[in-house]
Amino acid sequence: MNSALIPVLGAIVYLVGMRFYASYIDRKVIQADPKRATPARMYADGVDFMPTSRSILFGYQFKSIAGAAPVLGPIIALKWGWLPGLLWILLGTFFIGWVQDYTSSVVSMRNDGKTFGGISYSLISPRARTILLVFIYVYLLLIAAAFANIVATTLANAPRVPLAIIMLAIAGVIVGFLIYRGRVQLALVTVIGLVLFYGALFANGTFNMTFGSVHTNWVIWLLFALVFSFFGSVLPIWSFVQPINYLSFYIILIGMGAAVLGIFVKHPALQQPAFTTFTADGLPLYPILFVTIACGAISGWHGIVSSTGTSRQLESELDARPVSAGAMFMEMILALVALTVVAITAPSKGVSPDKLFGQGLGSIFTYLHLPQSWGLAYGPLMITILAITILHLVVRFMRIATNELLGRAVPLLRIPSIGTVVALILTFVLVTTGTFKYIWVLFGSANQLMASLALMIASIWLISEKRKAGFALIPMIFMYLTTMAALVITCKQLLQQAASRADLAGKPLAAGTVIGNWVAGLIGAVLFVAAVILAYDGVKALVRFSRLKQGAPAVGKSN
Amino acid sequence: MADKEKKEKKGFRLGKSLKEFVYGMAAHDTARFALKTRGSMEHLFILITMGDMLGIPILPPYYSLRLLPYVVPQISTWKRRMLREKDFTDTLA
Repeated sequence: MNSALIPVLGAIVYLVGMRFYASYIDRKVIQADPKRATPARMYADGVDFMPTSRSILFGYQFKSIAGAAPVLGPIIALKWGWLPGLLWILLGTFFIGWVQDYTSSVVSMRNDGKTFGGISYSLISPRARTILLVFIYVYLLLIAAAFANIVATTLANAPRVPLAIIMLAIAGVIVGFLIYRGRVQLALVTVIGLVLFYGALFANGTFNMTFGSVHTNWVIWLLFALVFSFFGSVLPIWSFVQPINYLSFYIILIGMGAAVLGIFVKHPALQQPAFTTFTADGLPLYPILFVTIACGAISGWHGIVSSTGTSRQLESELDARPVSAGAMFMEMILALVALTVVAITAPSKGVSPDKLFGQGLGSIFTYLHLPQSWGLAYGPLMITILAITILHLVVRFMRIATNELLGRAVPLLRIPSIGTVVALILTFVLVTTGTFKYIWVLFGSANQLMASLALMIASIWLISEKRKAGFALIPMIFMYLTTMAALVITCKQLLQQAASRADLAGKPLAAGTVIGNWVAGLIGAVLFVAAVILAYDGVKALVRFSRLKQGAPAVGKSN
Repeated sequence: MADKEKKEKKGFRLGKSLKEFVYGMAAHDTARFALKTRGSMEHLFILITMGDMLGIPILPPYYSLRLLPYVVPQISTWKRRMLREKDFTDTLA
């Protein structure tokens, strides 16, 4: 199959989804009203609530939701062949993904810009908020573990990447100071930062600078990633996290732009098999594919972003569809591009995702008359940057969450560095003792459960407003059941292996891996129980609102 | 002529939207953070000077009264922000 067809299919799904399905829901079900004041216009406090133009918000939403997962998920799912991943990305986004993003921002917008915690408290039950916040904390821990693992593996595999990442950090700090203390123009600062970064990359390529025997030591790079995240968590955000993420945007944009250009210039045939086997690497296609490819089809992270940042910046109700739904469809395109990049590579066994992406990008660079070695280096670099920029943000959130959830009981946890160290220790234990394929599946499961909970909140709100809820309720049921099935299968395998101290093939496991399996299995069990309780409370709320007569006020309704 | 003007306006709007889109991806969160920092400093100042409105008397009333005419336009926004229900997911915004 011609590889250019994949992004073209994506563009068709984007246009049809936005023009017909999303537009219908926006007009007939939600009944977006341009005359109704949004929280951004009502409150406009210059801190959280700021009316922002639709195009700016679209870019902001897209950048906030697009991380490493829409790129890595399709690569990891290639073990089942490219066709299952392609179908899930297209159909998942069309029927479920945009619905989740869109309804999350609409529900928050129509409830004074409240977050899911506040909305679940009033719509579902008081304990729903507590469970949801604990759930989000565990979810953040799994993100940190998955992405720290990716960073460590990629840095250990790719000799040219570590120096570039160190240079990115240095360039980021310099850029931060130039912007906030030096008051230098943004365009000039951007050029300085990128010159520093690309200069280091080329110098490394020319002089082949590596770190000797340390280079392939995975644990050293894991510690590097965690120390990097420590700085990201405790330093002022303007001095480290923000400028690094700012420069990273351009680095990723250049790589993705080159990938899209190369695909359309050469449109090579896909070499990977369309379908391999139902059970790959011990994991069945259903339900595991649906949690392996999370962002790119549907993701709970988007619901959090939509309900906190975006909903408080919408200038008009009419902007919710192009911003939230549009950004989700755009992320679908990103996932399709990543899938295409790896699908054009020759089939091979046991190649890590970063190497596979590098091989694909290397081929694409040759189509653009650039050296293949640039692509082989740039691919893993992009993966590392995508992962590490999310990692240090997530560790920062974990530090704040630790303070909020446990700060009163244990005052020591209010100290930023101590809260951060706690989060990093948990991450280190999970990464060093766990198996990546299970950590990724647990991360995906937590992500998709978060998405089904967001859809549940949206469904309950729609029913409380006496609106048609089928378009959110049916996807919610599908996602919930699929994700719970994935959790059951994963936990069963983990706990079985932990109890028998051997893997699925009967090979004995190291003591550390046995502990890791217990820890990961128990985390999965905690997620399962939390999801069951939330679903129970959610169903009670659904029944309660269904029985309310038309016009009767529901508990805690503000709109 | 009118058609040409329409096409030019459409092209201008498209160009403007593309510029805003790139700005949104690259720099909007930085700009937003800077505005939030300034807003938070302002609200902290009002808390110190007018905290007794929320039951937190910090400054002696004489100084609060001297500053009152300057902060009156921001008081309702400030109160709403201070008393609004928050959780840690707000930091993601």
